[in-house]
Amino acid sequence: MQINSPSSEIETQADNVRRATIDKSVKGPVLFLFLNAAFWLMASTILGVLAAVKLFSPSFLGDCAFITFGRLQPAHLNALVYGWGIQAGLGVMLWIMARRSGQELRNGRSILYVAGVFWNIAVTLGLVSILTGGNTSMQWLEMPSWIWPILLLSFLVYAWPMVIMFGKAFRPEGFMVSTWYILGACFWFPWIYLTANVCLNCLPSLGALAAGINAWFVHGLILLFFAPVAIGSAYYFIPKITGKPIASADLSKLGFWSLAFLAGWTGMQVYMGGPLPAWMPSIGAFTGTLLLLPVGVVGLNHHLTTLGKHDMVATSPTLRFTFLGSLFFPVTGVILALLSNYSTGVTLQFTHASYGFQIVSVYGFFSMCVFGAIYYIVPRLTGCEWLSVRLIRNHFWFSTYGIAAIVVTSLVAGIQQGGDLNNPEMWDQDFMQLSMNARPYMIARALAWGLITWSNIWFLIHLVLMVAGLGRRSSAPTLLHSSHDDTPHAAHA
Amino acid sequence: MSANPSNYSPDSIDLDRLHAAVKREKQDLQPGREPVPMLVIFLAMVVAVIAGGQLGLMTGEWNFETSNPFLAASSPDPRPGAGEGAASVDPFQTAMKKGASGYAVCGGCHQGNGMGIPGQFPPLAGSEWVVGGTERLIRVVQHGLVGAITVKGQSYNTPGGMQAFGAAMSATDLANVLTYIRNSWGNEATMITKEMVEKVRTEEKRVQQWTEAELAPFADKNVPGDIPAGPGATKPAA
Repeated sequence: MQINSPSSEIETQADNVRRATIDKSVKGPVLFLFLNAAFWLMASTILGVLAAVKLFSPSFLGDCAFITFGRLQPAHLNALVYGWGIQAGLGVMLWIMARRSGQELRNGRSILYVAGVFWNIAVTLGLVSILTGGNTSMQWLEMPSWIWPILLLSFLVYAWPMVIMFGKAFRPEGFMVSTWYILGACFWFPWIYLTANVCLNCLPSLGALAAGINAWFVHGLILLFFAPVAIGSAYYFIPKITGKPIASADLSKLGFWSLAFLAGWTGMQVYMGGPLPAWMPSIGAFTGTLLLLPVGVVGLNHHLTTLGKHDMVATSPTLRFTFLGSLFFPVTGVILALLSNYSTGVTLQFTHASYGFQIVSVYGFFSMCVFGAIYYIVPRLTGCEWLSVRLIRNHFWFSTYGIAAIVVTSLVAGIQQGGDLNNPEMWDQDFMQLSMNARPYMIARALAWGLITWSNIWFLIHLVLMVAGLGRRSSAPTLLHSSHDDTPHAAHA
Repeated sequence: MSANPSNYSPDSIDLDRLHAAVKREKQDLQPGREPVPMLVIFLAMVVAVIAGGQLGLMTGEWNFETSNPFLAASSPDPRPGAGEGAASVDPFQTAMKKGASGYAVCGGCHQGNGMGIPGQFPPLAGSEWVVGGTERLIRVVQHGLVGAITVKGQSYNTPGGMQAFGAAMSATDLANVLTYIRNSWGNEATMITKEMVEKVRTEEKRVQQWTEAELAPFADKNVPGDIPAGPGATKPAA
């Protein structure tokens, strides 16, 4: 591990060779995960378009049960969460953990492939049974109950070498910020996934408490898996690309430990005023609001690290995606606080706003950071450069506008829907009418998913070409700005 | 620290094979030592105060038995059908409560006070059509009514008459609304039960609206049927 500047040419070369060896050792599994994840992302966005269209035009594509909203929406979210999110997250985790720890993946690559294949088969079967009517009706756990042990075991197969790598690494004080988060995610996902599935699938029916556990699971998955992976990735790539160290070791510690302590308590506030012991939603509301602390601290740290290097956001695809993803983290935190605390949550609970929260966290925040990581990692694994600046730009802008539109319309629709339902003046309006009022927002949501689908088609094609080794054979990175072509940009990618 | 840089000498083949992307990477750096800004500590306190507001009263004193923090922990579950009160649910009171919300549909013409609008919509309060025979009342709402009619000595002839509202309602909802109008605004009459409505529905399947003359034979007839015992049966079935 090279912490200080190498004192000689030979040391730089030795370090280059060592990093290249690490890349080579994880190449297969990481590319396998990225490619499969990108296909699932494609599937998920197309399902997202269909589900959104179904909300304002229920008879679209005919009336067969297979493509009703009740099946499309869970299929869309499960493909997003398990097909894309966790899978791509594992790829990023594995690469960063290997690189940051300075450890090669020495053996067990074949079992990683096996676990990856099982993961994808399980997700496929799960989605097929959702679409054919086997929905368990538990949010983000809609896949049939025999799927979860397969997913959990596959995850553990990936988590194990990462934990070993962390254990073997030389760990100078304060240096391993990004891998703390990734190590955390390795432990937190099995914890929440196992707990939720045992409670909901194995214990005899828990009644109202089961709904609370389900909500806790969704928040746990967002805050204890998606958030740490994305934050870890941002903590790795922002300094890597700007060439500046992480601004403050103190802020990193504060951000990490406050997230670790608070995140596991949230979730039940979704049922504020509901038939749970009152302190459960109350504690969720408390921590959901208090999470503004880690969110703000991490955001500030990233801001201080990027400060003065904003021109690189314009040129480096990795930094641009990571920057936007990190920008969406405070947005996610604020939306969570609005949904969690009693004064605004009472309007927003059970409305479109909660979909907005899920999408801003999984797509706006997590996926954008992961796209940034993929744009950095893939050229190093395949040995060729991204083909086209235009494709990357397309991917960036269509995703950005799409996500922003979904989040804004979902929030506004949620405020309107919740406000109307709670308004005593509206006593003579029936529920159907109030739902119909959200129609324009649902049309906007379908259009926004359309934009994202368009961006993902190009991302997928681009990634497939890269993995097939058909990228540019060049030593110059693919950078986004052509206006300063005379300046050397080699250092930015 | 797998390779020791000082005595490691990569040969030229190794270096040639390296992809340029690896060579142009920047060094990993030790994080900076910026202290936590005072503003962060201040804002953290603000957040903590707001967050703390979500605890307090809202926790219901950390009691597993309390789901509504604004009732004293000792109060029983207020819903009908829960706790000791379960046996004493009054079918009449339930019908009145549900009928009151169902009446929103009727109130558009007959008004919230049941007085109707003189010359346009006949009143329900004190109307012989409402407190009279149950058979005629059920038929009016189930199938509709058209043409000139006389209510409390006043004649009405609303264009289009009254629609067949009952066709789109469940028997229970219809029975609740009818019980409600028969026992509001000073009216007092027997309950109409779901079974009575169902009986009329099976006997009469017409689709046109009634006229006053057609309904005359039913004016004082009551649909036979049991009225629930207990506090709900305020009047014996006539």
